[in-house]
Amino acid sequence: MSQQAIKVENLNKSFGEGDAFVDVIHDASFVIDKGELVALVAPSGTGKTVLLMMLGCVSEPNSGKMYLGDEKVYDDGWLTKETRKIRREKIGFIFQAHYLIPFLNIIDNLTLLPQANGVADKVSKAKAKELLKYFDIADKEKAMSSQLSGGQNQRVAIARALMNNPEIILADEPTAALDTERSIDVVKMLKKLAVEQNVAIIMVTHDERMLEYCDRVMKIQDKAVVFI
Amino acid sequence: MIHLAKEDVKHILGKFVVTAIGVGMLLGIVLIMMGVYRGMIADAEVLLKDLSVDLWVVQDDTLGPFAEASRVHEDLKYIIKAIPAIEKSEAITFQNLQLPLPDRKLSVLAIGYDVYGEINPINRDRLIEGRVLKTDHYEIVVTDKTGYQIDDKIKLGRNFYTVVGITHGSVASGGDPLVYVSLKDAQELQFTYTNKRIQTDRARGIINKDSHLVNAIIATIKDGYNVDEVAQEIRKWQHKSVYTREEQKVVLTRNVVEKASKQIGLFTVILIVVATIIIALIIYTMTLEKMKEISIMKLIGLPNSTIIKMIVEETLLLGVLAFIFGNIFAHLIYGKFPKNVLLNTPDAFLLLAIVIIASILASLIGVKKVVNADPTAAIGG
Repeated sequence: MSQQAIKVENLNKSFGEGDAFVDVIHDASFVIDKGELVALVAPSGTGKTVLLMMLGCVSEPNSGKMYLGDEKVYDDGWLTKETRKIRREKIGFIFQAHYLIPFLNIIDNLTLLPQANGVADKVSKAKAKELLKYFDIADKEKAMSSQLSGGQNQRVAIARALMNNPEIILADEPTAALDTERSIDVVKMLKKLAVEQNVAIIMVTHDERMLEYCDRVMKIQDKAVVFI
Repeated sequence: MIHLAKEDVKHILGKFVVTAIGVGMLLGIVLIMMGVYRGMIADAEVLLKDLSVDLWVVQDDTLGPFAEASRVHEDLKYIIKAIPAIEKSEAITFQNLQLPLPDRKLSVLAIGYDVYGEINPINRDRLIEGRVLKTDHYEIVVTDKTGYQIDDKIKLGRNFYTVVGITHGSVASGGDPLVYVSLKDAQELQFTYTNKRIQTDRARGIINKDSHLVNAIIATIKDGYNVDEVAQEIRKWQHKSVYTREEQKVVLTRNVVEKASKQIGLFTVILIVVATIIIALIIYTMTLEKMKEISIMKLIGLPNSTIIKMIVEETLLLGVLAFIFGNIFAHLIYGKFPKNVLLNTPDAFLLLAIVIIASILASLIGVKKVVNADPTAAIGG
C-alpha cells in the first residue's frame, strides 16, 4: 500500500465569467504523504480556504485530478455524487475553535461520525475511549464541552478528526484561539499524531513560529501552490 | 446510535418544556372549543333523549317549538291518540322563564307536562333529589344549577311554586337549565295575563278565552308501524307539521346550533393554523440557533437525513408534548365554563393527528434551512 495520502494534478479553481472572472488556484499539483504535517500559509484572500475546501471535497474544482489515498475522487468532475460520504470516511476536520456539538457529551461527539458510517456502537465507543486516553482526557468522556477548558476541547476536536481513520486531516488555523505556548503544544501534538496515526495533516496557519514544527510549508503564490 | 433530537432536547429541556406548555395552552383552547361544540350538540339532544318520543306534532308550517313559535290545541292529543298506530300521546309546552335567584335572574326553559299523563319528560336517571311532579299546581322540579333546594319557594307569575325535585344535567339546546312544571301551571304562566292586562283587553273588547293551548303534541307509536308513514298520515289529515325524532334532531342541530357550531369550527381552524405557525416559528428559531453546528455536521460528512431527522423529531416531540399539556390544561379548566363543555376522547385523538400533521408541516421550514445550510460556513479564513 502506498504512503500517498493526497495527490492533486493540475487542479484549477476560478470564479465568475468575463469581467468578473477571478482565477484563484491555477494548475496546482502536489503529493502529500501519510505521516506528514504540512503548513499552508498565505495572506488572507489568496485562496487558502478555497484550496482547503477543494481538498476537503466541499467545493468542486473546475478541472484537474485528485486522489485520496489511492482512490481517485476527482477527474474533471467528482467521481461520486456522494462527496459527503468521502468526507465522512476519508477526511478529518479541525477548526479554529473546537466547534463540538454543544448538546452532545464528549464521547457522543466522537462517536457521532463513525456511527453515521455504520460502525457499531461498541466499536466506535472503544475507539473514542482509546483516543481520549491518548489525549489524556479519558475522565471527561461523559462531560459536556461547556465543562471543559479551551485546551481540552481542542484535544477533543482533534480526537474527533481521527475517529474515522482519515487519509488526511484538514486543520483550519487550529491554534488561532490559543496562546503561543499552547499553540506550540498543539502543533507538536499534530506532528506526533501524523506520525503515530499515519495520517497526513494540512494545517492552515498565520503564525510563522509554528512552521518550524512542520515537515513542509505549502504556500499559494500568484495562484500557484508552491512548497518552500 | 446517538439520538440527536433527544440529546438536544435534554440540553435545552427547561426552554423546550416552557415552549411546549405555551403551545399546549393554545391546543387546550382548541380542545375546549371542540368541547363547547360537542356540549352544544349534547345539550341540544338532552331533551330529545329524555322524552324519547317518536313523533312531534307542531303548528302547521313551523319547525316546532325549538326553532320558532308553535301553538296547537291541547285536545289535539286525543285526536292523535285515536290513530291506531299511536301508543301514547301527550301535550307539552316550552317557555323561557327568568327564574329569580337571590342576586339575579336565571334564564331557564320551563317544560309543562300533564302530571297525570302518559309521557313524563323528567328522566328519572337525572333526578338526584326529591320526586317528580305529583299535583297539578304550584310544584316545580329544577336542576341543581339553579341552586334551589327541596321545599324552596319560587315566585313565578302570580304564584309561589314549591321545589319538589332536583335534577342534574338537564339543559336546553341553548344551554339554559330545564325546569319542569305542570301543564296547567305552564298554560297559566304562558297564556294567562295579569289582572290589569285582562282588564285592558276587556276594555278593548278582547276576550282571551282559550288558554288550552300547548306548543307541541308528542307521541310514541306502537310496534310494527312505520314512523314516517304515521307522520305523513297526520300531516295529511290534521294539517299539522310532524317531525320524527330524527327530523327533530336535525332541526335542533341544523337550525338551532348550526351557526354557532360553524363559528366555533372556524375559531378552531384558526387556532390550529396559529398553533402550526407558532410551532413552525419556534422550530425555525431553534434551527437558526444551531446553524453553526449544522454547518459543522454537514462539513464533517453527516448526511442530511440525520440532521433532518433531528429537526422533524424535535418538532413532533414539541407537538406531542404540547398536546399532552393542552389536554391537561383543558381538563383543568373545562368545568369553569358556564355552558356544557364536553371533552371527547375521539376529538382529542383527532387533534393529535392534526397536531402531528401540522408539526411535520411546521418542521419543513427548519428542514429547508438545513438543506440550504452552507458547510463552508464552518470554516473561517
